[in-house]
Amino acid sequence: MKKAITPSALAAVFLCLVLGAAGAQGAVSLLGSGASFPAPIYSKMFDVYARETGVKVNYQAIGSSGGLKNIMDRVVDFGGSDSFVKDADFSKYPGTIVHIPTVAGAVVVTYNLPGSPKLRLTGDVVAEIFLGNIVKWNDAKIASLNPQLKLPNLPIMPVYRSDGSGTTFNFTAYLNAVSAEWKSKVGSANSVSWPVGQGAAQNAGVAGVVARTPGSVGYVELAYANQNKLAVASIRNSSGNWIEPSLESTSAAAAGSMPKDTRILLVDTNASEGYPICALTWIIVYKEQNYGGRTREQAKAVVDLLWWITHEGQKYTNALDYAPLSDSAVKAAEAIIKGITYGGASLR
Amino acid sequence: MGAFDHDEGYRLRVRKNAAFTWLVLLPSLLVLAILAVIVLTVFLKGVKALNPRFFLETQKPFGDPGGGIANGIVGSVMVLGIAALVSVPLSILAALHLVEKSSSFLSTLLRLVVDSLQGIPSIVIGVVIYAWMVVSLGSFSAFSGGIALALIMIPTVTTSIQEVLLLVPASYMEAAISLGVPRWRASLGILLPAAKSGILNGVGLGIARISGETAPLLFTAFGNPFMNLNAAKPTGAIPLIIYEYIKSPYADWHEKAWGAALILVAFVFALNMAVGARKTDKSR
Repeated sequence: MKKAITPSALAAVFLCLVLGAAGAQGAVSLLGSGASFPAPIYSKMFDVYARETGVKVNYQAIGSSGGLKNIMDRVVDFGGSDSFVKDADFSKYPGTIVHIPTVAGAVVVTYNLPGSPKLRLTGDVVAEIFLGNIVKWNDAKIASLNPQLKLPNLPIMPVYRSDGSGTTFNFTAYLNAVSAEWKSKVGSANSVSWPVGQGAAQNAGVAGVVARTPGSVGYVELAYANQNKLAVASIRNSSGNWIEPSLESTSAAAAGSMPKDTRILLVDTNASEGYPICALTWIIVYKEQNYGGRTREQAKAVVDLLWWITHEGQKYTNALDYAPLSDSAVKAAEAIIKGITYGGASLR
Repeated sequence: MGAFDHDEGYRLRVRKNAAFTWLVLLPSLLVLAILAVIVLTVFLKGVKALNPRFFLETQKPFGDPGGGIANGIVGSVMVLGIAALVSVPLSILAALHLVEKSSSFLSTLLRLVVDSLQGIPSIVIGVVIYAWMVVSLGSFSAFSGGIALALIMIPTVTTSIQEVLLLVPASYMEAAISLGVPRWRASLGILLPAAKSGILNGVGLGIARISGETAPLLFTAFGNPFMNLNAAKPTGAIPLIIYEYIKSPYADWHEKAWGAALILVAFVFALNMAVGARKTDKSR
């Protein structure tokens, strides 16, 4: 008899636990998904935010395209993307969406070569590598930019993002700007048809493949390269200066003027000390937060989080080599956040 | 006398016999060796990650050392629990119907459904639950993950319960019915208790089957670096953590992924051994 009771008793206890927890857990939690480009800084910020405010923000780095799809399906509180939504695509969303910039970052060209030499590359050479025109590391085009280095006779294996990615969008937007051949053959989008190379999922995946594979070259957000001590290339910007990706050179590229809706590309900057492959990353939410049975409390939590990210949260950017928002970007963000409503009334 | 030794045909048969014995033995040894290599690799790589903090702390932010997978362990228990709660009653009822009314139209339909459900790739089940539950309820949740896993579990559990129900001697039911017990009462009061041990084995095997499933959880349970006890919210799970950690570039996370894999393998082993132990008990 005793034995027969055990499984059902267990089940009952479990059910109570689940239902009890569902009722008892009053604290607000938020869910976001999308870009992996800012995932290191977001996971740092949200770790701090949970300790300071008790609000747990769960961010899943599934790629920008995934984040946009999730916010379109209204299954997350916010989407993360480092490619902004094009005018033509706004109507696909069931409500008006707004873009709130959070941080700026650098897309770096990272590679795995014996001895980790510091490479100098031009946008054009990077395009030729990813087009498959340059296939060996000791190619004359790379060697002439790096006369002081002895480059190995090693095949180049380009690594690209297999998922729809804002990092890809910004990287290819840069190649579009500097290479006519790239523009005509491949173009720029969240996912493109790569002529050569191997795919990997998310920034972490690309960094992982590059870290493991000698001869490989990929593009990731700077934090991923630095955290894994991967070599990164200096790139010649439009002013002709060799620029290493860094907090300073990203800030320089992000310092320009900001449109009201903050949808702007930062690549191929004309700032003389700016790194040429920089990008803003955005959180995307619905302007009207009263949808799908959301409470005012939930909506308020979203707005408070956005305010915190664009203000107090900015101080965590430096340690992870992201650039904080420029003053004009913060101003624009403030106006947008104040415009977010619940039932027509502003939440801030 | 000597004719036997010199019989060429006999020697050939002996050699053929030996050859075929080895032909069967070698692949079996190979399978055993593969299993041993898998278990050993997981153990050797995973055991380094195991310490009390690994079980008690939640995931740390990117690149920060330390932390554990407590959120994933709790999430997995929750998701597997929901899957079992949903699938076991359904599977028992389906198996009862299949045994008691095996020639009815509904049984034919049930068999078709169970067989086809078994053949559906688990990622497809994940996508379908995303469309059905996640989008319509407007939230990823442990509950939707549990339902996705339940759908994968149902065929395994139904089939194994059906098999043990068939083993219960028909005379039990006949005796009960001849005493005037209604059929439903006989099914629940005689048939099920007689097959209880087999049913528990079936449930154990079903849970072992789904405990490592990752694909159906990607768009349902979704993952959560924080501890979550609310079934209506997204939750972490051990397979999701392994998936996230192993493709990351961080050595520390790789070690943790192996640690999580070790826990998963140990859990499945324990379940299988418990099932095996019950089976030997019964045969005695």
